[in-house]
Amino acid sequence: MAEVQLRGVSKSFGGLEVIKGIDLTVASGEFCVFVGPSGCGKSTLLRMIAGLEEVTDGEIRIGGRDVTDAEPSARGIAMVFQNYALYPHLTVAQNIGFGLSLARMPKAEIEAKVRAAADTLQLTHLLDRKPKALSGGQRQRVAIGRAIVRDPKVFLFDEPLSNLDASLRAEMRLEIADLHGRLDATMIYVTHDQVEAMTMADQIVVLNGGRIEQAGTPMELYRRPDTPFVAGFLGSPRMNLFNGDAARAMGTGVYGIRPEHVLLSPDRGRWQGRVRHVERLGADAIIYLDVPQLGELVARTGGDTTLGPGAQVWATPQDGAEHRFGG
Amino acid sequence: MAAGVGLSSADVRLQGRAPGRTRRRSPYPTWFFLPAAVIYGALFLLPTVASLWFSLTRWTLFEAEFIGFENFRQFFREPFLVQGVVNTLIYGALTSGLKTVLGLLLAVLLTGNILFRGTLRTLVFFPVLVSTIGVGFAFEAMMHPTKGVINVALEAVGIDGPGWITNPSLALVSVALVDVWKGVGLATVIFMAGIVSIPADYYEAARIDGATRWQLFWRVTVPLVRPATVTVVTLSLIGGLRYFELIWAMTGGGPGFSSDVIASVIYKQYQAGFYGLATAGNVILFGIIALVVLPLTWWFNRREVDL
Amino acid sequence: MTAMSARRPRRRPTKWRPIVTGALAMAVAFVVFVVPFLFIALQAVKNRRDASRLNFAWPSEWQAWQNFRDVISERNYMLLLAYFNSTVITVGAVALLIVLAAMVGYVLQRRRSRLNGIVMALVLAGLMIPPAVVPTIWVLQGLGLFKTIHGMILIQVAYGLSFSVLLYRAFIATIPKELDEAAIIDGAKPLQVFFRVILPLLRPVTVTLIVVQSIAIFNDFTNPLYYLPGRENVTVQLTLYNFQSQFSSQMNLLFMNVLLVTIPPLIVFIFFNRQIVAGMTAGAVKG
Repeated sequence: MAEVQLRGVSKSFGGLEVIKGIDLTVASGEFCVFVGPSGCGKSTLLRMIAGLEEVTDGEIRIGGRDVTDAEPSARGIAMVFQNYALYPHLTVAQNIGFGLSLARMPKAEIEAKVRAAADTLQLTHLLDRKPKALSGGQRQRVAIGRAIVRDPKVFLFDEPLSNLDASLRAEMRLEIADLHGRLDATMIYVTHDQVEAMTMADQIVVLNGGRIEQAGTPMELYRRPDTPFVAGFLGSPRMNLFNGDAARAMGTGVYGIRPEHVLLSPDRGRWQGRVRHVERLGADAIIYLDVPQLGELVARTGGDTTLGPGAQVWATPQDGAEHRFGG
Repeated sequence: MAAGVGLSSADVRLQGRAPGRTRRRSPYPTWFFLPAAVIYGALFLLPTVASLWFSLTRWTLFEAEFIGFENFRQFFREPFLVQGVVNTLIYGALTSGLKTVLGLLLAVLLTGNILFRGTLRTLVFFPVLVSTIGVGFAFEAMMHPTKGVINVALEAVGIDGPGWITNPSLALVSVALVDVWKGVGLATVIFMAGIVSIPADYYEAARIDGATRWQLFWRVTVPLVRPATVTVVTLSLIGGLRYFELIWAMTGGGPGFSSDVIASVIYKQYQAGFYGLATAGNVILFGIIALVVLPLTWWFNRREVDL
Repeated sequence: MTAMSARRPRRRPTKWRPIVTGALAMAVAFVVFVVPFLFIALQAVKNRRDASRLNFAWPSEWQAWQNFRDVISERNYMLLLAYFNSTVITVGAVALLIVLAAMVGYVLQRRRSRLNGIVMALVLAGLMIPPAVVPTIWVLQGLGLFKTIHGMILIQVAYGLSFSVLLYRAFIATIPKELDEAAIIDGAKPLQVFFRVILPLLRPVTVTLIVVQSIAIFNDFTNPLYYLPGRENVTVQLTLYNFQSQFSSQMNLLFMNVLLVTIPPLIVFIFFNRQIVAGMTAGAVKG
């Protein structure tokens, strides 16, 4: 368990700066999620913390110690990779114990540690199998087991669930959250999936173009996004954002309203529009409106709505839920 | 992700880090090249570079006397040496061309749905693994003008078989045919891999469009098996141009000098103690291979971009 | 589909085409590829007079064993010495080739640096440039390696590197880099990453290379001809070649010798048939 501090961390590939001076503190024991679109630098930043990418400038501290130029194995970190990176020629037990055997730990001790990790992850019956005989979820658990057994101060996850199908992903999400509760370790987790970010994080760091766009708790970011980018990135369906004349008419540069905060009424409201399309999700329905003053406006409403394409409705933003992002 | 850009840490390091930081070692140390580089450098590169100098000398292995381009002049003055150059080109083109065409046809046959497929694949590939000298002797015996199995068989059906390796105008071609016999298995295997890696979708789509077998072959297989074609043509051409084992086993370059190629000429000059001349032959052979293969690969690569 | 055929039982014609083409191809292949080997085997068991006719007539007497003994004992058991030398050269050269080529292929594929362009150019040059024989002899003499088994091993390594490196490089590209990184995080040093993670994963290509290179080196004639002259260093192929003049009137012995030389590759082939084809193609087409 340790605090992770980044100070002015930047990274260039050749002349191209991909990480542009990041300052960030991940508190001890915190579950921190780096989220952003592909190419935003989130994986690179994680790999810099791991020591797999060199730091061009700045400083990385783990547990107060400067590890900027330390070998990956000397940083007290463990990493779980997107494609699991299990050694195909080794059994599950050998995979989990690989690092320990490199450190020349006595065999009995390795075995005890491997067994303990396997018990936590319900892998005991699979210890003699090779990775290719495992399912995706099981492989994921082995990868986590390999991390646990190193007793790291910081766990690093690089999009660990993106190769799993939807139902398994939900299950593993819960399992990782449980693990975090049990181990009480600092975890840094990279994903492009805003649902994973919202559900798992103590702190979300939204990255964009190599910079931190905003950092904070999930609900802070949801309620008070600093920028249209953050506003649009978190929440589903994404926030309605308007700029240009429509926004200027409302006295701002960019105007935003989340679909769940758009109230529909058959006879009165701020904007009149015509229903173009209705997506019924069961509990909810997503209504796509054509509003002459704005363009397309998306609203979320109860699943039992009777609105259909062509219907004329009035839409009104909920009080206090409007976002105005400077000029 | 940005990680995929894949510049190594070492490169970034060169872009100027804050001074005074310890340089971390790459997990992929350059010294891994070293043992191979020493052997390769000493026994391949050094002689290759040295050959450029020694080809310009009269050389006894102990002393070398500079004589300019005399060796090259002599090479192109002697009719039998010129014959060797021409033969090299004929041999290279003939073996490479036949291996490519037959290899592709065999590969189509052996990836198709036919009886005895496994056995046939084995039969076609096996000669690749057999001693060239042994094969050469066997065919030399079978190609004997009067007693040889081939001509006896031809006689049985009323054909007067030629003197396969005793007729000066036929010897080189005969050896080339044996070379194809021995080497076509390798070409076939490479083509088979190429054909198997073509997604079945293309064939299905073409068949839905009403393509015949013939059209499938020309419109789907031939264009999509291109990478394999490039490999086969290039490898067999390089091999054919610099190869003389089979010629040596079957004809020794004869009758006369009619089946000599540059590689066998080099050996003969070496045996006779003309080291400078032999080395000049080497340089000429290198030049010919470069002149043939480099434009060809350039042409292949250019076509690839168009695709 | 099943419902349809139940209603109107369709006459499914026997597929003649694969059988006919297969049988036809088999007949042609028999003549083209099997007959020459039968020819060799048949001559090898004949007596001297029968063999000199070079035909397919049944041998008037079978003397396989005697021919075998004659060939082996020829020139003071030179063939046995040749087998020994060829084996030493083949095993030594292939072992070195595997380790050195895998190391080069690994760093070449993994590390992106300016050096790579040069290394790659040298590798391709090795495929294309014919070795300069006389200068090589000159270098070998300078190093005291001319006419030695060691020198021959190193020559075979130098000449086999390019192909092996290309095959390894192509295969290593299919091993995810995350495996190296996982090992690095687990605390592996570069040598450990290579020997404990990468090398074991290279087994399929390694098997292919062992088979292909050992057959190539065992069958090599030209290089021993140049770099390994002398009676005490004879290799199998050289012996065969040298016996030709001696056996010119004893075709039965010549072909017994050919038969014996063909046996090692045959054994290798029987064991590794599948792997040779699979591995060759994996590298050749991607490479």
